[in-house]
Amino acid sequence: MLAVGVDIGNLTTKAVVMNGSKLLASSVIQTLDEADASALSAMNKAFEFAGEEPAVKKLVVTTGAGGKEVSFADRSKAITTCLARGISWCKPGIRLVIDIGAESSTVVKMNGRGRVVDWANHDKCASGTGLFLQQMARLMKLSFEEMSELSREASQGAEISGTCAVFAESEVISHVHRVPPTPMPDIILGIYLSVSTRIKSMCKRVGMENPLAISGGVALHEGFVQNLEKEIGEPIYVPENPVCIAAIGAAILAGEEINKDALK
Amino acid sequence: MVEKGSNKIQSIIRACRIILRMVEVDPNARESQKKYYRMLLQYFTRLRDAQENGQFIAAHTVFFPSEIILAMDLVPMHTETTTWMISLFTGECSDILAAGVREGMATEICAPHRGMTGAFANGSIPKPDVMLWSNMVCDNTAKSGELVMDICDCPGYFLDRPFKNSDLEKAYFADEVRDMIAFLETQSGKKMDYNRLSEIAETTNRQINLTREINELRKNVPSPFSPLGFLELLTIDYLFPGQPESVDYLETLKKELTQAVAEKKGAVPNERFRLMTLFIPPMYLMAFLDRLSRESGAVSVIEPFFTFWGEGNLDPSKPVEAVAEKSYMIPEARMYGPLGNTALETMKQCVLDWKVDGAVFYADVGCRHSCATIKLFKDTLADVDVPMLTIDCDVVDQTVTTEEEVTEKMERFFELLEDR
Repeated sequence: MLAVGVDIGNLTTKAVVMNGSKLLASSVIQTLDEADASALSAMNKAFEFAGEEPAVKKLVVTTGAGGKEVSFADRSKAITTCLARGISWCKPGIRLVIDIGAESSTVVKMNGRGRVVDWANHDKCASGTGLFLQQMARLMKLSFEEMSELSREASQGAEISGTCAVFAESEVISHVHRVPPTPMPDIILGIYLSVSTRIKSMCKRVGMENPLAISGGVALHEGFVQNLEKEIGEPIYVPENPVCIAAIGAAILAGEEINKDALK
Repeated sequence: MVEKGSNKIQSIIRACRIILRMVEVDPNARESQKKYYRMLLQYFTRLRDAQENGQFIAAHTVFFPSEIILAMDLVPMHTETTTWMISLFTGECSDILAAGVREGMATEICAPHRGMTGAFANGSIPKPDVMLWSNMVCDNTAKSGELVMDICDCPGYFLDRPFKNSDLEKAYFADEVRDMIAFLETQSGKKMDYNRLSEIAETTNRQINLTREINELRKNVPSPFSPLGFLELLTIDYLFPGQPESVDYLETLKKELTQAVAEKKGAVPNERFRLMTLFIPPMYLMAFLDRLSRESGAVSVIEPFFTFWGEGNLDPSKPVEAVAEKSYMIPEARMYGPLGNTALETMKQCVLDWKVDGAVFYADVGCRHSCATIKLFKDTLADVDVPMLTIDCDVVDQTVTTEEEVTEKMERFFELLEDR
């Protein structure tokens, strides 16, 4: 029996197919209007990549914002549990994982066995999330890669609010239009700092632990991760497939259920 | 011009009657539950009819020594509890909260105070003959007391209670209480009955000791008391201090819990998580939280700052001093007063004695006093390896958090506890 994990995020849906502890395939699609349709579409794609038929015998565990709405799921698990299981599978021994998704950010602290000890999350405002970084990139007409490159030339970060995405946007606009304008690299560093400061505060709230890792779409944003490492003062492990960590965790939990059933 | 609000006391009474009718025919309901709702009905009916019966209404804020009001045979109106009950029984407080904002109560101010101000302003609760408030434990009262005097055009008295509890400070507070009694005598035309006050102090001792005994029974696994039953204990203490009906309720409850313990019968079908509750859950989510707790096998077994009374008894032979002494003994005083190591050690001891798996802190955004303790409590509980969930919420304002958000957090927390 195959273990399937599906993470339905606000922006993307991720599916992972595993056989025992072996990851067979993963997929990422844009989240659709219906949770069932999103999960099914992502799952079928992952099966296709794995060379398996969708009708294969499987156990499905869902997670994420729409995880509980999937009617055909065998189980639904909390995102925190899935992140902890997923990152521990990628690199055993990780004690803190920072997950920055499209519309929320979560910090999960784990014990030596990869079990959740505490967490903090932020989902009340776009600041400190992936959508905020995306919006800022769009505002400055830059790609994430260009932002990363330019940030290396910054002399000091421009002052940008870390508490309100609307204020932050106005501040970026005023930095661009002031005479003389604030140098672009300094604005980018300011944007990174506004997110990093918020994330660092969440890490402190649960208690900083090492080693730490990052997951979610923002983990692919190299310049930001480097800035976050500098702010936190510790190296941050970036897994190979950072977007799918929660889905991997869900698949591992599905695998645990399969093993439990086999023992009965 | 303030728009006239609906009669909220009448709404509480109506809802209480419906619940009582349901509880009375429910074979699984506790006898104590029936008594509890009858008491609530009696409290709010007396308040509703007070003006018509020519009785003197003394509105007072939380932790205020309402024993004085009861000993003088005046009609008490516990302002915060009245706002909670509006939220609990009608599920809706937005109109009175909005009215409170219009009166100048900022949205950051404790919502029960904002709601109470609004309810007085739009006439949805009866105007008192006198407003009594104090800096006892909660400092939001200082923000609303004078405003209520203005809105209701009534006299008021501010009871100044020292922060610390030395003998000198307690004596000062007892003098303050005496001055307030003189004020009430002048305003109401009624004399203080000191014999009655002594009886109330005596009954309060019995009430406190019964609560201690009930908490002892809650140490059993599985816990015999309802997941959120502690709110009954809290309400009894707030609305009926030193009253015979409180003792009757508590004795009935104790008997029921003793029997449940003997039968090894838990309050929830499958007890999985023994919780410590810190601060007060949102009233409008009570039915939902009760259901979630039962489905998840979660029970609040102890509340160190709400039901866990410290050592000591009151001296009925010195009733005014006894009232002053009680204000330093109340469980909440440990959280809001000078928060020392004793309070934190008490919390740790509660974890061990009540076999607590996890703690839930309902972080009421309007209560800066309690929110300031979040990190301290979390770190203290971490010393005894107990995780703490913080739920940002408001006790009555529904705009702060939703049922979905609370469900998600609770489920994450239960998974964390299960996974350990």
